Amino acid sequence: MQNIYAPISVKIAKIEEHSPSVKLFRLKRTDGKKFSAQKNGLIFTPGQFVLAGVWGYGEAPFGPASDPLNRNHIDIVVRKIGQTTSALHHMKEGSKITLRGPYGNGYPIENFLGKDIIMITGGCGLPPIAALIEYIINNRAKFGIVHLLYGASTPPDLLMKNRMKFWQKNIQIMLTVDKPICNWEGRTGLISECLLELKINPANTMVAMCGPGPMVNALEHLLNPMGISDKRIFISMERKMQCGVGRCQHCVTGNKYVCADGPVFNLDEIDKNWD
Amino acid sequence: MQNRFSKKLKIAIYDFTDCEGCEVKLVSIKERLVHLADRFNIVNWRLGQEKIKDGPYAAAIIEGTPVTQDEIDLLRELREKSKLIISLGACASIAGIPGIMNKSERKKWYAKIYGANYKPKGIDALPLSAYVKVNHMIHGCPVDEDELVRTLEELLSGKTPRYRRYSVCLECKLAGNQCRLLHKKICFGPITQGGCKAICISGGSPCYGCFGVREEANIPALVKILRRFASEKEINNHVTMFFNQIPEYKNVFKQALKNYKK
Amino acid sequence: MTTAPLQINLNGFLNELKKKFVVIDCRKNILAPKQYLFPAQETAFNFDIKKSRLKTLPPIKPFILFGLPLRDLEAITRLDEIMSRPNKNYYYFRRRSKTTIIGLTDEQFNIPPGGDLILQKLSPKDFAVMPVTAKGTVLIKKMALARPSKNIPASQYAENKTMPKLRLLLQDAEMLKDAVAWSWKNYPQIWDELAKICLGCGICAYVCPLCHCFSTEDSMDIAGKSCKRCQNWAACTLPEFSRVAGGHNFHKTLKERYYNWFYHKFARSYEEFGEPQCVACGRCQAACPARIDIEKILINITQKYKIANRA
Repeated sequence: MQNIYAPISVKIAKIEEHSPSVKLFRLKRTDGKKFSAQKNGLIFTPGQFVLAGVWGYGEAPFGPASDPLNRNHIDIVVRKIGQTTSALHHMKEGSKITLRGPYGNGYPIENFLGKDIIMITGGCGLPPIAALIEYIINNRAKFGIVHLLYGASTPPDLLMKNRMKFWQKNIQIMLTVDKPICNWEGRTGLISECLLELKINPANTMVAMCGPGPMVNALEHLLNPMGISDKRIFISMERKMQCGVGRCQHCVTGNKYVCADGPVFNLDEIDKNWD
Repeated sequence: MQNRFSKKLKIAIYDFTDCEGCEVKLVSIKERLVHLADRFNIVNWRLGQEKIKDGPYAAAIIEGTPVTQDEIDLLRELREKSKLIISLGACASIAGIPGIMNKSERKKWYAKIYGANYKPKGIDALPLSAYVKVNHMIHGCPVDEDELVRTLEELLSGKTPRYRRYSVCLECKLAGNQCRLLHKKICFGPITQGGCKAICISGGSPCYGCFGVREEANIPALVKILRRFASEKEINNHVTMFFNQIPEYKNVFKQALKNYKK
Repeated sequence: MTTAPLQINLNGFLNELKKKFVVIDCRKNILAPKQYLFPAQETAFNFDIKKSRLKTLPPIKPFILFGLPLRDLEAITRLDEIMSRPNKNYYYFRRRSKTTIIGLTDEQFNIPPGGDLILQKLSPKDFAVMPVTAKGTVLIKKMALARPSKNIPASQYAENKTMPKLRLLLQDAEMLKDAVAWSWKNYPQIWDELAKICLGCGICAYVCPLCHCFSTEDSMDIAGKSCKRCQNWAACTLPEFSRVAGGHNFHKTLKERYYNWFYHKFARSYEEFGEPQCVACGRCQAACPARIDIEKILINITQKYKIANRA
């Protein structure tokens, strides 16, 4: 009998410091094999999550940030916030950790084909969106106009700056911060202001969001008047995901399990949930 | 991870006024104590050794309640010298049994027992947290060996020690006990942190809550249940056993007892 | 049953059984038999730090669960299904495959609700033996039972008096789901009231034969040689249940958490499995220190729902 809770062993091939509390870990399999592709040819669908763990310290969910077509490695972006993430932050390059997944449903990329895409994210919500960007850039001709709106509290909190330069050549990016410290020359203010500046063709636009709850709630109310219905809005939800397969019950919202039915939901599916 | 600390953590163990039962519990973990002594640099443990070392300490584990100015000064000094202050047992964590003390008739008894010229040295028995910031509390009267070891292991692994977030009821049901409350007997199990394995209830005693109040415990609901079969005085007698000096007693328990209407 | 059932003397049978097998007599337990299949603390992984590999879990020896009433048999049948999604749960079925379940009842039934063997009461001492599965038949052979039975007069059957009204409600599972789902916004008074009396202690989840939520917890041994990853019973009424690292709680209040317990059992479960996760065994009600009458609450909610939706 297969044990779905049994993780595989992976090695930290590279660590990048992205902000004082955020590190990116590049993970490779310790057995030298490549990560296996799912039915859609991707090792994970952008928006799906993996559970990375350290024996003795637990597991935590992460939406991989790397190119889902690249089977050599998976990048996870880890904010030091609890027991598992603190343990991960103490790891060095070459350390072994555990990995299982991918789990749940990602962004419906097949529905995004041929469409203009607006990706909106804030704070630490960037990684799954980053994977979506990597996928889009890999298949650039199959998508229309693509926007990324990304906000953070301060300039040092903006993650994946090294990839941003590459992305900027391929998609439209608007960055904004709340506090313009560190000689920030870019925009200051709310992400909603960025959204209102966009000139869009609502009939051909899909929205992918990942970010803190209040941000998502605020944006919902702007998108509908812009002509984008709930059916065209996909959001990645945060909940306590432990088992990853819809059994442990911690991540429930309404009649859905965020780990198994999400974490990416169509807004229409979840906005009537009691919780 | 396990070899994260190149140097052994220096842990000081101190005791103030108490019965020393929790330190005896530390001794009674037997071979596990050998591992602890191996992995920590344990110093200043009056009951267990003669090794006296000055700070700084990674952690000071303190048993008992400070009831003299000397003890309070020492506690403040330990706070200065230690990264973490960890209270060991109910006396240090929530004032415990010494906290029962009722001051109202104190003067009369001083005069009667020690004579009119006696100048008392004792100060109110309060938890350590009344004087200094406490980083973690190992609860219990006495502490539970496994919970004690778990906390120390979490320190060794570089974790922030965790509290049990469930009620005594989990362990009480696992022990196969009938619910005392359903048998009209006082019990604080539902509002108390687990970890004790419900030994008191299994032994036929009420739970007095020596493991401290569980987070977000619904105290008014428990008071309502208790008042169905117990008088305010009876409940107060039970509550003050361990909770006399904790804010929940003054702020929630007393209020709930006052507000209770049949 | 078409063939005449075998008949036994209960105490004699149990004594013989105990001589031959490991028998857990569940008759006086407060906790449901799920505790033997989905224990309160399951060591899922044991990692040897020095060798950097997982230790093999100790094997499970065969055992018999004895004396389960019909509703507990039904509960285990349901639990088997719950634990089969999305794949067979390794830990549950590791134990389940070694378990033989013997039911014990004085009630009448048409189709056995579960178990491997059911003992049905004929007289205070005598019981008919009915195999339900191949495992049960094998057990009968191993016990060398061969005595033919008398005909069972129907008048001797007892009626289960536990939560009879809830049992009826459960038969209209869709209405029950709609009513519970409706109540959150349309009948919040009941949840406000319950949040005032519920202790949030978690007993209802612990004693339930079907509640199956768990928390994963890692620890290290004090010698620093091995790590354990355990799956421990959780309870959705406890504040940490929906709280993520960093402190945000998605079910902040006891009102939300206690409602979630009902919502899961009677609404979410219906969506997921097509039936409520309740067999009306009565344990949650009998063990609730606040004496919350769960049957009455559900009757109240469904009545209010029906009145509100009559037009």
